[in-house]
Amino acid sequence: MDKEALILFFLSAIAIVGIGMLLSWLVAPKSKNIQKKEAYECGIPTVGSSYMQFRVGYYLFAIIFLIFDVETVFIFPWAVVMKSMGMTAFIEIIIFFGILGLGLLYAWKKNALRWD
Amino acid sequence: MSFSDFLLMRNELLLVAAAVIILIADMSFSDENKRGLYNISLLTMIIITVLGFLPAPSGKLFGGMYITGDIYILMKNILNIATVIVLLQSRGWLEKPGQQKRMGEFILLLVSVLIGMSYMISSGHFIMFYLGMELATIPLAALAAYELNKSKSAEAGIKLILLAAFSSGILLFGTSLIYAAAGTLYFEGVMAILDSTAFTTLGLILFFAGLGFKISLVPFHLWTADVYEGAPTNVTSFLSVASKGAAVFILVIILNTVFKSLNDVWDPMVYALIIITITIGNLFALRQRNIKRFLAFSSIAQAGFIMLGVINDGGLGMATVIYFVLVYVFSNLAAFGVAAAIENETGKESIDDYNGFYRTNPRLSLVMMLAMFSLAGIPPFAGFFGKFFLFTAAAEKGYYILTLIAVLNTIISLYYYLLVIKAMFIDKNGAPIGYFKSDTAMQVSLVICILGIIVTGFTSGVFDYMVNLSQQFFLTLQ
Repeated sequence: MDKEALILFFLSAIAIVGIGMLLSWLVAPKSKNIQKKEAYECGIPTVGSSYMQFRVGYYLFAIIFLIFDVETVFIFPWAVVMKSMGMTAFIEIIIFFGILGLGLLYAWKKNALRWD
Repeated sequence: MSFSDFLLMRNELLLVAAAVIILIADMSFSDENKRGLYNISLLTMIIITVLGFLPAPSGKLFGGMYITGDIYILMKNILNIATVIVLLQSRGWLEKPGQQKRMGEFILLLVSVLIGMSYMISSGHFIMFYLGMELATIPLAALAAYELNKSKSAEAGIKLILLAAFSSGILLFGTSLIYAAAGTLYFEGVMAILDSTAFTTLGLILFFAGLGFKISLVPFHLWTADVYEGAPTNVTSFLSVASKGAAVFILVIILNTVFKSLNDVWDPMVYALIIITITIGNLFALRQRNIKRFLAFSSIAQAGFIMLGVINDGGLGMATVIYFVLVYVFSNLAAFGVAAAIENETGKESIDDYNGFYRTNPRLSLVMMLAMFSLAGIPPFAGFFGKFFLFTAAAEKGYYILTLIAVLNTIISLYYYLLVIKAMFIDKNGAPIGYFKSDTAMQVSLVICILGIIVTGFTSGVFDYMVNLSQQFFLTLQ
């Protein structure tokens, strides 16, 4: 009985993906021109290839920003339960901020925030 | 929840505190001289390892997401010991001129992996387990790619991270199927509900495959040799011992708790995996001339042997798995320690370079010999008892043919382990590796390993203690 269910599960998984791709291929309007193939489409012709080197500094800044951005999201669930948990929650968030600040200090100390 | 509840998480909290201490210490020492940082890290890790042996309360936290008990503490202690030994062995390598600047990163990543493994073992919820597993994997990839000026190291890192991502995907798909069948992700809840249907079987298989990558069982072993060869030797030793050990521990726990009702599904599966893992691991190990690749395939074969304990779904099986991992920690780290010492001094990795090593460095050769004897399972050493108990565990369940195949494979493995010893003691070499003196930390670590090999073999109390704890663990399940 449940072997059929499993087969059905796989078939429907393939079918849903397949039908979706087929439909979009059938329904979508097709346009073919030179601009379509360009790496970055903005009206002005692009110069050079998209495989070029850029400063690692951009990457480093972006990733440090991203980490701290994501970490601060954890404050929202804390804020929701803060009142019901009381002092424990308060001390926990202090520790959390301490570790977060330490991370920033580490990045600073390792010259990851220096642009030259 | 009160603060006394946090005592249950003693090991993890201490490790997090250690990570913070190491981070602060890393910032306060100058780039040229990080010797103080190494000493502080080693001291904190030793203190945590010693504190781990104090009696600890058992219980649950966060509504059952975190479980702890005597057997969990024992597993974590074994991993702590392995980390301390790896830390001791990497001292000479970390304190090389030019290398010191990044020492803090190495130690921090190592401690992060340990934190992840501790949470993984103690998890009582699939998401918690997954979090721990990722924390124990991603820093490892960074560690494998640690040597910036070696392309092989970068290759090892990218292979490890890609395979880890792939195996996580498989594991998560398996978990999602189990969630679809059970409606909960708590181990307790799943255990109560799960029954043997095609859906749950598929979930189990996918979950098992995901963990199989970590343990490097045979259909999932292809990354092992390349990563082991490319990664720095000290990282390889950690990867082969602690990462594998942690995955085996959680596999034993999960198969015997969550998937207990699917016992008749995973029994034949583990049976088949043991046979191909041991055989293929052994056959490939025969041909290796690079010591790290050789130890990689040897570790695949050893993983197959460990699974002999997993197939015995009882207290004896769990105890033999823990015992074998402990023995394996000591013997494999001794072998890797000697390999790391030689590589650190001369940069040589080939077994052919070891020819005539006994003439110039008799003491290191003796350590390597003991390690190889223990890995091969020659009687007076701990490796023999480890394998003997594993065979007993498999035979207790009535798997006599399986035990016979494993015993035959032990004989094959004896051949290639002895090849290394032959190269060191018998083969002649016009220009052998010259005499060198390894640093004190390395010597201490090798002495600990040798003592471990001998003491765990000769004292029956260790194994009895493990059997006791495992049986208690199974009693509390009912």
